[in-house]
Amino acid sequence: MNIQDYIESGILEEYVLGVLDPAQRAEVERYAADYPEVRQELTLIQQGLESYAQAHTQTPPAGMRERVLAGFQAAIHGADTTTPPAAPVAAAAPETVVRPIASVQPAEEVAASGFNWMMAASVALLVLSAAANLILYNRWQDSETQLVALQADQTRVASTMQAVEKRLDTRTQELAVLRNEQFRAVDLAGTPTAPEAKARVLYNKATKAVYVDVRNLPTLPQGKQYQLWAMDKGTPVDAGVLAAATTAGDSIQQMKDVTNAEAFAMTVEPEGGSENPTLSTLTVIGKF
Amino acid sequence: MSPTTPESPTSTSEDLLVQRLRDRDESAMTLFYDKYASALYGVILRIVKKEEIAEDVLQESLVKIWNSFQSYDPSKGRLFTWVLNVSRNLAIDKIRSRQYRVGSRMQPIEESAALRQAATPTFRPEHIGLQEMTNKLAPEQKQIIDLLYFGGFTQSEVADELNLPLGTVKTRARAAIKVLAKLIR
Repeated sequence: MNIQDYIESGILEEYVLGVLDPAQRAEVERYAADYPEVRQELTLIQQGLESYAQAHTQTPPAGMRERVLAGFQAAIHGADTTTPPAAPVAAAAPETVVRPIASVQPAEEVAASGFNWMMAASVALLVLSAAANLILYNRWQDSETQLVALQADQTRVASTMQAVEKRLDTRTQELAVLRNEQFRAVDLAGTPTAPEAKARVLYNKATKAVYVDVRNLPTLPQGKQYQLWAMDKGTPVDAGVLAAATTAGDSIQQMKDVTNAEAFAMTVEPEGGSENPTLSTLTVIGKF
Repeated sequence: MSPTTPESPTSTSEDLLVQRLRDRDESAMTLFYDKYASALYGVILRIVKKEEIAEDVLQESLVKIWNSFQSYDPSKGRLFTWVLNVSRNLAIDKIRSRQYRVGSRMQPIEESAALRQAATPTFRPEHIGLQEMTNKLAPEQKQIIDLLYFGGFTQSEVADELNLPLGTVKTRARAAIKVLAKLIR
C-alpha cells in the first residue's frame, strides 16, 4: 500500500478521534513507527484536535483550583490505604493503557468510614459525658449535705468559742486580781453554826474593790442568798449578795466597793439581801 | 525509530513536566493544573454540561493521570492529547451513567451551557479561537465532530442518530479533522 494513500485514507483521523477498534489502532501504531511521514501526519491531526479542544477552554469557577488540588491530594493519599477498584478506560486513545486506578470511590468510602468513626466517637463521648455528669451531680449533692453539716458545726463551735472567750476574760480578770499586790486577802473562817465553811475576801483599799472567793459554804435552801458585810468600825456595811456560781465556788465575784473595813462577814439573808445582817445566820467571819 | 516530539515553544517545559510527573513529584501536578486545567475543564464541561460535575470529573482526571502516568508514552503522542483523552473518557463515562442516559446528548452546541463563557487557553498563545474554527468547519462536519468527540458517540451511533449512512459519517468526520489539522499547519 502506498503510504500517501494510507495517510489520505482517513484512518489517521479516525485513530485520533478514538473510533477505531484495537486491531486497527495497532495497525496505525505500526505504520507510525515505521513511517516518519505517517507519524508526522498523526501529530498534525492530534494538534488539530487539541486546538479544537483548547478552543473550548473555560474560565473555571472561583475556588475550583484549591478544591480540585486538595481533592486530588486527598484521593491519591486516601488510595494508599484502600484497594482501588478496577476502572475501565474507554479505549479512545492508543496511548491509554487500561489499568486499575484509584477512582474517587475509595475516597468516598474513606470519607464515609471517617464519618462513621466520628459518629461512634461522638456517641462514646456523649455517654462518657453523661456518666461524668451523674458522678459529679452525686458528688455535688454530697458536698451540699456536708456543707450544711459543717455550717451547723461551725455555728456550734463559734458559740462555744464565745463562751470560752468570756470565761477566759473572767479568769484573766480573776487572775489579775489574785496577782495584784494591792489586794489584801482576808480568810473568813466558819462560825460554830457552820464549822466547815471557809471563804476569802480580797480587798484593795486604794481602789475600794472587793472580791469574794468561796472555798466551801453550806448549801442554801430555796429563796436564800449569802450576803457579804464589811465591818467598818464595828458597823456592818452591805457589800452585796453572792451569785449562785460564786457560792458554789466556781469563780470569784467582785462585790460592792467598800471604803473602809477591818473585818468581813457573811450571813444568810432572803434573796436580794437585807439592809441589816441577820446575826443568827452568821456563817463565816474574818479580820485583817 | 527514535521518538520525535513535535516542535513547539512549550516542548521544553512539557518535557520537564513529564519528567517530574514520572518521578512522582506531587508538586508537578500543581504546575500541570495551571497549564492544562482550564482547557480540560472546558472540554469536560462541554461533555457533562454541569459545572459541579465537570469539577468532579476534572479532579478524577487528575487522579487518573497521576496514577496511570507511567502508561503515557511521549513517542506515541503529545501529553495534551493523552490527558485530553483521559479526561474526555472519564467525562463520557459519567454521562453514560445514570441521570445522563436520556436527554441532553443531542443538545445543539450553540445552546449548551458550555458556550456561555469563553476563555483564553493558559498555554500555546497562538491558539485559534473556537469561532474561527467553527467558521472553517461546515456545520454538518462540526455536528459530527462534536458528537464523536464530546458526545461519546461511535460512528455507527452518529449514523443512527442523524439518519445518515455510516460512510457519510466517516467521510465528514475525516474531512472535519483534516480541516482542523490544516488550521495549524
